[in-house]
Amino acid sequence: MPQIITEQNLRSLIDLLVKEAKLVVGPKLSGSVVLYEPLTAGSDLTLDALPRRSSKELFFPICEDILSYKRENGAMKVADVDRSKFPETVLIGPPPCDAGSPAILDAVMSWDYKDEFYLERRRKSTIVGIACTKGDDACFCRAVGLAPDAEAGSDLFLTPLKDGSYSCKAVTEKGEALVAAHLNLFAEGAGAEPVPFVDQAVEKLDLVKIKKWLEEHFEDPLWEKIADICVGCGACAFICPACHCFDINDEGSTDDGVRRKHWDACGFSKFTNHASGHNPRDVQNKRYRNRIMHKFKYYDDKFGKTLCTGCGRCIRACPVGIDIADILAQINRG
Amino acid sequence: MNAKANKNQVTSIEPAYYQAITEAIRKEAVQILKDETVVGVVGYLPGRRKGTASPALVTTVEEAEKLIFSPACVNNLSVYLTKAKKGVLKQGKVGIVAKGCDMRALAGLMTESQLQREDLFIIGVVCPGVYGFGVERTGTLTEANIARKCRECTVHMPEGSDVAAGTHTELADLTPEEAEEMARIEAMPQAERWAFWKEHFSRCIRCMACRQVCPFCYCEQCLCDKNRPQAVESSPRPAGNMAWHLVRAMHLAGRCGGCAECERVCPMDIPLNLLNRRMAQELKELYDFEAGLTPVEKGPLNEYKENDDQSFIK
Repeated sequence: MPQIITEQNLRSLIDLLVKEAKLVVGPKLSGSVVLYEPLTAGSDLTLDALPRRSSKELFFPICEDILSYKRENGAMKVADVDRSKFPETVLIGPPPCDAGSPAILDAVMSWDYKDEFYLERRRKSTIVGIACTKGDDACFCRAVGLAPDAEAGSDLFLTPLKDGSYSCKAVTEKGEALVAAHLNLFAEGAGAEPVPFVDQAVEKLDLVKIKKWLEEHFEDPLWEKIADICVGCGACAFICPACHCFDINDEGSTDDGVRRKHWDACGFSKFTNHASGHNPRDVQNKRYRNRIMHKFKYYDDKFGKTLCTGCGRCIRACPVGIDIADILAQINRG
Repeated sequence: MNAKANKNQVTSIEPAYYQAITEAIRKEAVQILKDETVVGVVGYLPGRRKGTASPALVTTVEEAEKLIFSPACVNNLSVYLTKAKKGVLKQGKVGIVAKGCDMRALAGLMTESQLQREDLFIIGVVCPGVYGFGVERTGTLTEANIARKCRECTVHMPEGSDVAAGTHTELADLTPEEAEEMARIEAMPQAERWAFWKEHFSRCIRCMACRQVCPFCYCEQCLCDKNRPQAVESSPRPAGNMAWHLVRAMHLAGRCGGCAECERVCPMDIPLNLLNRRMAQELKELYDFEAGLTPVEKGPLNEYKENDDQSFIK
């Protein structure tokens, strides 16, 4: 028998989790934008807009210290970050295009090098995804194989019902544990009708066909056409749930400073600039090509997954209106 | 003739107005491509999504016939003539579609010797305004969906263009939201003003969209990309974010033409044009100078005069 949680009880669940000293993160209005931010109470949860940045920052922060150093009495002392202090975290409210991101990124973060910063946060987190009943003309999750009710990445998955409550499905043991520990907030029953999903304007993409095209078109006038207008900022990559490139900088002085890891983007002209001065991706078309190749070919080659959830953020945010769904659809049509 | 007295004030700008401009742009673009006046035209093409448009460099008559102008034509296309994009001009004379605010950028870039007037064929647009961010894109421009910068536009007429498309029409009785916001911030105690900007800059993710769309951010080596030694922290943290935005505001003082592209493209909604306008106000008060109204020999901050006020040197 599926379980039901009312909206009020969902907010109470947040209140309880905060009392349990867990870090509870969810969509919250911050100034004029909705962002994934720590919730201090259930009333903070804002579910009417897709947050401007994706929830990847919960595991892969915009910027984090990875070590600090200080010269004391002539000797350099290096201190690691104590990752055991990362808090137990519950992420509440990501739609499938955000909740699905760790299901994609876990592979690269635990591949040849284990990114313990990311993995420790993943181990300590529970994701409560919510099926998406919103959406606009930039959404294309169905086109890349996800769906408004895709459970991938979620530990507990909620589906909005017409009476304002949610039907709940525990997808993993973490999800089961979360429900079991707060059983009084959930009721047994079938509940009301689910809220219908919004139609998407983008055609279903044949990702195998697109990948094959990419394999055969490393050189193609398409890349130049896009690069004609791409201004080379990092907006698309930074707000993307799947982009995961970062840079490392030592900041401070030679005697006292911090080594920081922070987001980087393949659209930047200096992204691949070598210390020698050579830059293998010296022009924008090579940079934009890399963005598409990485998402729809390289990542699939290595990990068997597409590096895109179809959230549409890059389409909404691109300063010059580059529309990745339109580019993919063009390739798809052949 | 006084343009102000002659202007047509209305409560909505209908699609027909933009359609007429579209036709005029197509006609000009086709003509200058056909007679080889230019090698290409920088203009706008429609996007896949309803009510969107995207910049485009068109080089054939067939493409030129698809050019559009609509309230979605928000971009300042002059950015395509400088920095990484300056290759466009190397191919020969270029046509460019320019609204009044974009003309200010072109004039400023001529002032800074980045562009030569004779290298351009400017198809000016008498622009009544464009969409703001996240508004309803119905095809009709009203007070509800006009961009904040357009509410106080003083450059509807594209002064200095080769041809101008459109008749002077503008929305009536628009509240000057930006001026009101500036006054509100100006009236704050200093600590509160500092807190206001700190809060905004704390959201910055350093995607550099503000820099990349700015026609005047054409430095080949941006100070903020330097890491040996590092001048400004490149990590997106409050201190570095603050430094970056202040450096940029100072560097644009007396140069920024007010197109507000930086503010439009900011994915974190940082009201960057408030900074630019504040600097412009300073230049107006100190030097009675407004950037980009017409190409000048030198901007006030690029010129030294014996009788300059030096009382600030203590």
